[in-house]
Amino acid sequence: MAGISFRNVTKRFGKTVAVNKASFDIQPGEFFCFFGPPLSGKSTVLKLILGLETPDEGEILIGGKPVNRVSPADRNVAMVFQNLALFPHMTAGENVRFPLVERKVPEEKIRARVEAVSAKLHISHLLHKPPAQLSGGERQRVAIGRALVRDPVAYLMDDPISALDARLREETRVELKRIQRDLGQTLLYVTHDQEEAMSIADRMAIMEEGEIRQIGSPTEIYDTPVSRYVARLLGAPMMNILPAVRGQALEAGDGTISLPLDVVPAGAAHIGLRPEDLKVEPWSDTRPGRPATVYEVEPLGGYTVVTVDTGAEKLKALMRGQPDIRLDSAVALSCNPARAHFFNQAGEAVSL
Amino acid sequence: MSMLATKEKLSVTGDLSTPETRIEDGGRRLGLMLTLPAQVLVLFIAVFPLLMQLYISLTDWSPLDGIGWWHAYELWNNFANYTDLAADSRFWDALGRTALVMLICVPAEFLLGLGLAILFMDNFAGKRVFYSIMLIPMMVVPAVTGYMFFMLFQSGGPVNDIISTLIGRPFALAWLSSPGTAMVAVMIADIWQWTPLMFLILLAGLVGVPEDQMRAATLLGASWTQRFHTIVLPKMKTIIIIALSIRVIENFKIFDTLYIMTGGGPGVATETISVYIYKVTQQDLIWGYVAAIALVILIALSILVSLAISRMNAAKEA
Amino acid sequence: MTAIHLENLVKRFGAFTALKTMDLEIRDGEFMALLGPSGCGKSTTMNMIAGMEQPSEGRITFDGRDMNGVAIGRRGVGFVFQNYAIFTHMNVYDNLAYGLKVRGTPASEIDRRVKAMADFLQLTPMLDKPSAKLSVNILQRLAIGRSAIVEPAIFLLDEPLSNVDAAFRAVMRTELKHLQRQFRQTMVYVTHDQLEAMTMADRIAVMDHGVLQQVGTPLEVYNDPVNLFVADFIGSPGMNLLKGTLADSDRGLVVDLGMLGVTAPLDPALSAIARVNRVREVVYGFRPERVVPAAAGQGLAIPVTFIERIGARTVVHFGDREQRVKAVFDNDVAVQAGETVHVAVEPGFARLFDAATGVAIREV
Repeated sequence: MAGISFRNVTKRFGKTVAVNKASFDIQPGEFFCFFGPPLSGKSTVLKLILGLETPDEGEILIGGKPVNRVSPADRNVAMVFQNLALFPHMTAGENVRFPLVERKVPEEKIRARVEAVSAKLHISHLLHKPPAQLSGGERQRVAIGRALVRDPVAYLMDDPISALDARLREETRVELKRIQRDLGQTLLYVTHDQEEAMSIADRMAIMEEGEIRQIGSPTEIYDTPVSRYVARLLGAPMMNILPAVRGQALEAGDGTISLPLDVVPAGAAHIGLRPEDLKVEPWSDTRPGRPATVYEVEPLGGYTVVTVDTGAEKLKALMRGQPDIRLDSAVALSCNPARAHFFNQAGEAVSL
Repeated sequence: MSMLATKEKLSVTGDLSTPETRIEDGGRRLGLMLTLPAQVLVLFIAVFPLLMQLYISLTDWSPLDGIGWWHAYELWNNFANYTDLAADSRFWDALGRTALVMLICVPAEFLLGLGLAILFMDNFAGKRVFYSIMLIPMMVVPAVTGYMFFMLFQSGGPVNDIISTLIGRPFALAWLSSPGTAMVAVMIADIWQWTPLMFLILLAGLVGVPEDQMRAATLLGASWTQRFHTIVLPKMKTIIIIALSIRVIENFKIFDTLYIMTGGGPGVATETISVYIYKVTQQDLIWGYVAAIALVILIALSILVSLAISRMNAAKEA
Repeated sequence: MTAIHLENLVKRFGAFTALKTMDLEIRDGEFMALLGPSGCGKSTTMNMIAGMEQPSEGRITFDGRDMNGVAIGRRGVGFVFQNYAIFTHMNVYDNLAYGLKVRGTPASEIDRRVKAMADFLQLTPMLDKPSAKLSVNILQRLAIGRSAIVEPAIFLLDEPLSNVDAAFRAVMRTELKHLQRQFRQTMVYVTHDQLEAMTMADRIAVMDHGVLQQVGTPLEVYNDPVNLFVADFIGSPGMNLLKGTLADSDRGLVVDLGMLGVTAPLDPALSAIARVNRVREVVYGFRPERVVPAAAGQGLAIPVTFIERIGARTVVHFGDREQRVKAVFDNDVAVQAGETVHVAVEPGFARLFDAATGVAIREV
C-alpha cells in the first residue's frame, strides 16, 4: 500500500500534449478515480504510473520515492484490464496463480499466497471452475485476485466493467468498492461513466485535454464545480446552463427564471441549475415572469425527467416520483437561489 | 503478469499514446535503414532489365554478333527498330488480334464470372462441390489446357461429335485449320480457363457489399435490378477495376494455350503479340527489334493500367 | 398511420423457438417499445413485421390486411438499423432521395421533398457531404429522414441509440420521442435498455426467452410488474425482491423475511388479496424509491452497509449478500454506513409474488 504523486508531469506525443503539468497526491488506501471524455489523457496517466510511458517533464513518486527511472516490472503496481482478460483455457485458480508461476516462485509459497488471497476475496470455492462458468461479479473477483497475489503497492484499473450490461455494472461497482475497502489498498480507476465514478470514488480528478481541472470528492465536485465544463460532466441529466441577463433581477431563459440580485455574485454571465434543483409547477396568472411550456415528459419510474421549453432553450428538470404533468402545458420555473451555480464569461465558477 | 500486462494494454486502449506514435518519434530512420537493402535489390531487379532493354532496343545487337551486350552501342541504328516497327504490318495485325481476343474474352469472362458469383451468393444444394469444381480450370497448367482444347476441337473430336448429335447430321468442321474458327476455339479455351478467376474475385467483392445497406434499400422499395445498380455496382467498383486490370494484362500476354492449340496458325490467323515476339526472337534472333516491341507494349499497358488505377482512386474518394 | 396486429406469432429456427405464440396489438400512431435482454425474441419480432423473416405460425396484419407473403419493399415499413446502414458511397442528398428515386418519383418532386426533409431534420448544411464521415447524431437523423421521406405507415427502429455515448443519448432520447410526436407515426422500437423504453414509449412490451411477459404503459410495468422477471428488469436500481413467508401476527398478516430477522406488515388491501390466494412462500417486492424512513419499532430495522451518492440521488444499501435492500433517497439524506436505520415501504407500494411461480399476486 503506497501513495502515488505527480509533480508537474507532462507527456507529449509528437505535437500532442497528452498530459500537461499534472500534479496530484493520491493517499495510501484511497479509491481514486480519473474521469474525463475520451482522449482527455486519463489512460496516459495510468500508463505513466505503470511505467509504460516516460514523462517528458516532472516527477512521479510511488510511496514517496521517485520512479521516473524505475522499470515497469520493479514498480510493483498491478493492472486489471478492461474486460478483465482472464485466460479462458485456465481455471480460475490457475489464473490467480499465473503471475507467481511466471516469476518461478516456489510451489509452497504460491499455494499459501493463493489460499490467502482467495479467502480474502471469497473465491476459494470457485478456483476449480473455468472463467466461462463464472458470473460477471465472480470473474471480477478472480481478476482482482490475479492482480493481488503479487502483493502490489497499488492497483490500476482502466474501465474494467464497461463491457458488462447496465444492471450488472450497478452491482459490480458496489462489489468492487466493498473489496477495495476490505483490502485497504490504493486503487486508481479510470472510467468514462460519471455515475460509476461518483458511486465508487473516494476522490476523483476531472480531466480535460490533458489537464486536471478539479480534484475532490465526488460530492464536492458535484456540489461546487469549478467550471461549466466540470459542472456538465457530472450528473444525469446534465446541468442546465443558461445565459443570464442582469436587470431588476438576474433573468434567464427568456424571462422564465429570475433570481434576486443580492444572491448573484459579480461577473455571473451564466446560471447553472441542476435538473433536481429546477422546480416545475403549474402556471397561474398571478405569478410574475413568464411561463415555459412542457416539451417532453420522460418517466423513469422513481423519477421523472421533464423537458421544458423556455423559448430560448430547453431545460431539463428531474422530479421525484410520477408527477402528473401534461405535454404542452404552461409551467412556472423556479429554483432555490442557494442551489444555483454561477459562471463568468470564461466559464469559471463565481460565487458571492 | 506485468510484461503481459504491458503488451496487452498497449493494444487495447484507445488513448493518445498508440505504439505507432512512439515509433514515429525515433524509429523512422532506423526503419528506412533496415529496409534499404531490400529496396536496392528491388530497384536492381525491376529497373535494371528495363534500362538494358531500352539500351538494346536502340541497336541492331543480336547474341550471334559475338560482342557483349554492353558493347551494343557499336551497333547503334538511329531508332531504326522503332521506325521499322511503325511500318511492320505483321506487328500491327498481331496487335489487332490481341486486342480482339481481349475485347471478347475479358468481357465474356467478366459477365460469366459475375453471373456465377451472384448465383453463389444464394444457398443451393451442392454449393460446396460446385464451388470446388468451378475452381478447377484455373488450376490446370495452361499448356495442358492448350493440349486439351487441341484434342477437343479436332475434326473428329468431341466438340464436333456433340454438335452432330445435337443437329442430327454429321458435322466435321476443322476448327483449328480455318482462320475464323481457330480464333473462336482459342477464345473459348481462354474463357474456360479464366472465368473462375473472375468468379472468385467478384464473389469476394459481392460478399463485401454490406448486407444491411442492401436490406435498407429493399425496405425503401428498390427492386433487385435497382439494388444492383445503386448499391452493388458502386460498392464493387474498385474490385471490378482490379479484376478487369488483372485479366486485361494477363490476356494481353496470351501465349501457351494458344501456341499449343494453333501455333499461331493457320498462317498467321491466330498470331498474337506474344506469339509474334516468340517467333521473332527464336527464329530471326533480332533482339534489338524484339526489345523495341516489348517496350512499346509495356508502355501501352502501363498507360492502360494507370488509367484504371486513377478511375479506382476516384471511385474510392467518391 | 397503421395499426399492427400480431396474432399467435411463432418463429422457429430449426429446433430453436425464437418466439412463442406472441399476441400483440400496436395501435395506430403508438410508440411501442419491444424490451428485453438479448435473445428474448424482440429483434425476431421486428424482422417479421418488416418482412425480413417469415413467421413459422400465426399472422401479422396492418390495419386488418394480412401481411404474410407481402414483399419487404411493399409493406410501407421504414426501418432504422442499429448501425443506421447509411449508403456510404452516396452523399447525404442521395441517401435521402433514394427511396423516392427507386419509386420513380419525378426529379422536381424528389428535390422538393428532400429539401423539405433536410430542413426539418436540420441536415440542409450537409446535403452535399459524403455520408461516410458523418458523426453518429447526424447519421441517426439521416437514417430517420431516409426512411421517413417515403412516408411509411410504420417506423421500426432497432436499438438506434446503442452506439451513442451516454451523455448524448439523453439528448437523442428526448429528440427522438419528440420527432415521433410530430410524425404521428406508428413506431416500434427494439431495445434492451429499460431506460430508453421507459422514457420514450407510449407502451412497453417486455419479452424474455421468446415469451411476451407484459404489455403496458411505462408506469404500469414499473408500478405493477406481472412477474419477477419484469419487476427485476424494469427500473434502476431494480426492485427489491425479498424471499419471505406469510404469517399471521397481532399486527395482521405479515411477511416473515427470515434472513433479515424482521417481518414486514402488509397493508390491508394486499393482505386481503394474499389471504384469498393462500400462497405462503412469497417474494416481497418494493421499489427502492418507495422506501421511507420509519419511526423506531416500525417497519424494517436493518444495518446500512454501503452508501452511493450519485448526483441527485443517494442509493443506500442495506443488509447482507443474500437479502439485500436498496433505497433511493434525495442527496441530502443523513445516514452512515454501519448504523441501523428504520425504514418502511410507502403504503400501497409493496408487491407480492408467488415464490414458486414468480407470478405477481395481484387480484382476488
